[in-house]
Amino acid sequence: MDKVTLEVVRSGGRRIRYDLRYRKGMTVLDALIEIREKLDSSLGYRHSCRMGICGSCGMTIEGVPRLACQTQISILKTDVIRVEPLHSMGVMRDLVVDIAPFMAMHKSVKPYIMRRNTDERDHSDREYRVLSEEVRRFLQFDYCIMCGLCYSACPTVALDPAYIGPQAIAQSYRYMADPRDEGWDQRIDLLDTSHGVWRCHVAGACSFVCPKDVDPAKAIQMARKEILKKRLLRRKARVGAQPVPLLSSGVVKQGVKPPPFDFGKGSVSRK
Amino acid sequence: MKKDPRYKSGLISSLNPFGYNVERWSYALHRVTGVVLIGYLMAHIFETFELSMGSTAWTNTMNALHSLGPLELVGLWIVAGSALYHGANGIRLILNEMFGKLMGSPILPVYPYSPTSLGRNQRMVVWTITGVVLVLWVWAGLYLLAGLGVV
Repeated sequence: MDKVTLEVVRSGGRRIRYDLRYRKGMTVLDALIEIREKLDSSLGYRHSCRMGICGSCGMTIEGVPRLACQTQISILKTDVIRVEPLHSMGVMRDLVVDIAPFMAMHKSVKPYIMRRNTDERDHSDREYRVLSEEVRRFLQFDYCIMCGLCYSACPTVALDPAYIGPQAIAQSYRYMADPRDEGWDQRIDLLDTSHGVWRCHVAGACSFVCPKDVDPAKAIQMARKEILKKRLLRRKARVGAQPVPLLSSGVVKQGVKPPPFDFGKGSVSRK
Repeated sequence: MKKDPRYKSGLISSLNPFGYNVERWSYALHRVTGVVLIGYLMAHIFETFELSMGSTAWTNTMNALHSLGPLELVGLWIVAGSALYHGANGIRLILNEMFGKLMGSPILPVYPYSPTSLGRNQRMVVWTITGVVLVLWVWAGLYLLAGLGVV
């Protein structure tokens, strides 16, 4: 292959073709950079790190959301490559999409560690320790770079803009599975809605396109399972609910073995 | 109705599985077969409702249906296929969604990445369902043809 053509869908639906000389190892992002430098300086797209870390260059390449910097032209097996903005997102200009709604969903699930005792945050007198086997429960979901590919690939997001999306649910589960976190009660009300975990229909497209193997489809089903379990436990615990000890998980003194992590503990009573 | 400002969102985009994984194809097929079954259910309710309108109305409805000829047979065959696929795939989805089965457990991702939720077990179940449904669908077709005395 000596030559490659990029068919870029630009603002207003215009399809513009750019012919380039193919170089071995060339990525779609390399091609876009070359277009902007040599052929058309008005072409709009986002990129930053060029190595699959920042998640800025997400776009739809040959009908599938991918990171342009991680997509080798040779693997696409075509001489004419169709490049579009990410689906299900508003277009700002050419290949630049509006990620504000996506980020708002991410923010809505409170993707940070929450403790019941807020005083701990300011006057901490001990370290938060997490055992390696506990880390395994959430580390996979911690690798998210917020590129938005899963959100764009999700068929439910395409139909329901109010659906919080696979990325936000996976991030929510990441903190729910963290033994240091006690924010389950606040997150469950966000997830256990008709636009939350129950809207997912396990198409698996989110996990298929994820460039970091975060596997949001798995996180969603795990969150679902735990919500079901939690709701059932809550029904049982409604009569004669016991107050939950603060150090139910995670925060341990040196040399003291933490109790095994269990979603059944920690939030029996509802505020 | 206000147009969705999002690029390529909506029903067609949602049902387009090209370039994606087999589970996404399964999702699209599940939705389409669900719509076929709802259509059939509505038609069936209407058809049986005709019974309350008297024997003449019922006979007329039956005559109208039979006048479709092979189309009626094709329609029933599609409904049979839809029911088979929707039911079998529904069991897989219940296992996935309610019990978290076939999804794997959290792992430490190692390149080249391969999501466990779309792993061997999941694919095997999807293809088994497809195979079994295809066999039963062919059998349903032969059964319908036998009813007409064709085979």
